[in-house]
Amino acid sequence: MTRNTDTGDDSGDAVTDGGVTEDPSGSGFSPIAALNDRFGSDFVESSQFWLPPFLLVGLFVYGAIIWNFLISLTDFSGFGNPNYGDLDLEMYTRALAESGFVDAAVNTFILLVGFTLVTLGLGLGLAILVDRNIRFENTFRTIYLLPMSLSFVVTAQFWAWMFNFNNGVINIVTSSLGLGRVDWLGNPDIVLWAVMFALMWQFAGYAMVVYLAGLRAIPNEHYEAAKVDGASTVRMYWRVIIPQLKGSTISASVVLMVFALKAFDFLYSLVGGYRPPNGADILATKMVREAYANLNWAYASAIAIALFLMTLGIVGPYLYYQYNRGNL
Amino acid sequence: MTDQDKRLSRRHFVGATGAATLAGLAGCSGGGDGGDGGDGGDGGSGGTLEVLHAWTGGDGATAAEALVEAFEEEYPDIEHEFNPIGGGGNQNLDAVVANRLQNNEPPSAFAGWPGPNLQRYDGVLGDVGSVWEEEGFEDVMVQEAVDLHQQNGAYRAVPLGSHRLNCLFYNTSVVEEAGVDPDSLTSVSAFIDALETVQSETDAIPMTHGASGTWTTTQLFSSTMLGQEGYEAYMDFLDGSPDEEAVRATFESLAEILGNYINDDASSIGLTESNQNIIEGNAAFIHQGNWAAGAYRNAEDFNYDEDWGFKTYPGSEGMYMLHFDSFLYPSDNPSPGVTDQFMAFVGSEAAQVAFNQYKGSIPTRTDVDMSEFGPYLQETQEDFANAEERPPNLQHGLGVTSETMTALNDVISSEFSGPYNVDAATQGFVDAVSN
Repeated sequence: MTRNTDTGDDSGDAVTDGGVTEDPSGSGFSPIAALNDRFGSDFVESSQFWLPPFLLVGLFVYGAIIWNFLISLTDFSGFGNPNYGDLDLEMYTRALAESGFVDAAVNTFILLVGFTLVTLGLGLGLAILVDRNIRFENTFRTIYLLPMSLSFVVTAQFWAWMFNFNNGVINIVTSSLGLGRVDWLGNPDIVLWAVMFALMWQFAGYAMVVYLAGLRAIPNEHYEAAKVDGASTVRMYWRVIIPQLKGSTISASVVLMVFALKAFDFLYSLVGGYRPPNGADILATKMVREAYANLNWAYASAIAIALFLMTLGIVGPYLYYQYNRGNL
Repeated sequence: MTDQDKRLSRRHFVGATGAATLAGLAGCSGGGDGGDGGDGGDGGSGGTLEVLHAWTGGDGATAAEALVEAFEEEYPDIEHEFNPIGGGGNQNLDAVVANRLQNNEPPSAFAGWPGPNLQRYDGVLGDVGSVWEEEGFEDVMVQEAVDLHQQNGAYRAVPLGSHRLNCLFYNTSVVEEAGVDPDSLTSVSAFIDALETVQSETDAIPMTHGASGTWTTTQLFSSTMLGQEGYEAYMDFLDGSPDEEAVRATFESLAEILGNYINDDASSIGLTESNQNIIEGNAAFIHQGNWAAGAYRNAEDFNYDEDWGFKTYPGSEGMYMLHFDSFLYPSDNPSPGVTDQFMAFVGSEAAQVAFNQYKGSIPTRTDVDMSEFGPYLQETQEDFANAEERPPNLQHGLGVTSETMTALNDVISSEFSGPYNVDAATQGFVDAVSN
């Protein structure tokens, strides 16, 4: 027995050893198999499809962000090469101490939140109206969506004319209503809201389409059940329908917020330069001014990182939400 | 079978897409290389001349075309590429130039301002001293041009033309209706009185101002300071030792002008629309560089001395506030031989006449036959040649570095674009220029 066991053990060892020495020549234990075991059965085989884009995106997006962050730690300005030997957070402390940066950051934030909320609200209202089986539904939908298809360059010029103090259509309306004329672009307390209004006009149609798709996905039974239970129309939407539009709200708001961060194009076209009207400076315009008017590359990079963190603050929770729902 | 077929086809599809993507990327980078690789003939006499400038519309575009035509006539064998990059004044051009210099792909030459503006290109500009010497530019250009085109003891650029900054243009019929004689306005206070007269006697805007960008106001500051506080005070300001009282007094006058006598829609219009107010007789005066006169020449039935007039900005009589349109010469030049020839051409009479008569500016050479130019530019040329002083401008590169200029415009934007805060603006300007 013991002998047997011993031999068994011995032979077992021998087999194991032999197995180990034999295996590399065979195919039982290999890096490929290990990777497949760890990441899924097709990991290596499928890599030819996802690996090239993965590397390209990694290099050109994430690599660039990291590089940008590194530059923001240097004192790089003018022409030449950045000195990576001397890294510190000087550019960030300088930014926080500069009133221009703080104003731009606050404006960016106000634009982000205000524009997104108002546009979502307006889009939802339009979607509900269009969804009520009105006549010419398609026509209305097209009309509301049309501004979205126009470029910022075009809409900014429209609004520059419409906001004109003397002969802009908005002041003609307000003065005929007895409200007097308003210096929409010249008054630093108003200009940001004027810009927000113009952007809202452009993107409300987009929010409408997203909500409309959400509404169409809700089965008719829900409307009918609410009616049978005696809910009024307002109550029906408030209690039954709108809560089901959470997904639409989240995806629309992420897109809208990203558009708000990109309002650079609009402001650039509005004034034909890198400096928006006083009171409407945002981080994106300030970044471009620092980079190209002053050649302060490091400082502009620091502003870019601040902008990036803001974006991450928006997209991060969204990704987490999607991850929790199992969509990622 | 069908299942396998499907899978196969999908695989093929994905593979094909991947290949196409890679090919596309390769194509892009190849194209990019091709773009700057055109300068393959480094050294030697070959190489394509690549010139970047920002004259994309109106007078500028016509003038640039005339320049290219004259160049082809003079140097028919040189391969060339003149690339206009418009938008935002010079901002987009500056951004493109900054990127290309940063990436070590300089063009042969690019349009820009000399003077302290050269400091932003510190270390990336070459020496065109040999061209200045061979062509004898030092003898035919005014001394200010000679001085302002040097940096660190070497010539970095060649001037093509000059605009005048301290200009006041007016609509003749509006000032006549108001009973104002522009020639009698020899001080800023007399000018403000005249604005008051226009306001009370006519329905026209006394002074039209396009302030959608801040540069027009910064520019107005410089002329007002020159006219009211004099040459010395203005030069001290540029040199970094400003007299705070002089700056404050200037801003007080500006606040009076901008607060009372300009168009209500100033903040929503730019130079073009503002200038239109003069052409249409809606406004009496405008302060601008004399590029504004180009629009008058192109307007129908709008003639010098009959319909519009020119007055040196009040108080700055006998002075010519300088502006230069120049070509800057990058070091590490892709086509040094032909670039030298181009630079020599830029400073020549042929180029300066061809370009400036359309641009509405004047040659920087003082030995040029002005017969091709209109009466207004002929007078400007005389003023230029005979000026007692030729102070550099503030807003167009000759007076301060680009970084200081940005800081000044930040101050105008936050403190002086209505409401007009004289104290804060004074403090901001003094801080921005002080050494």
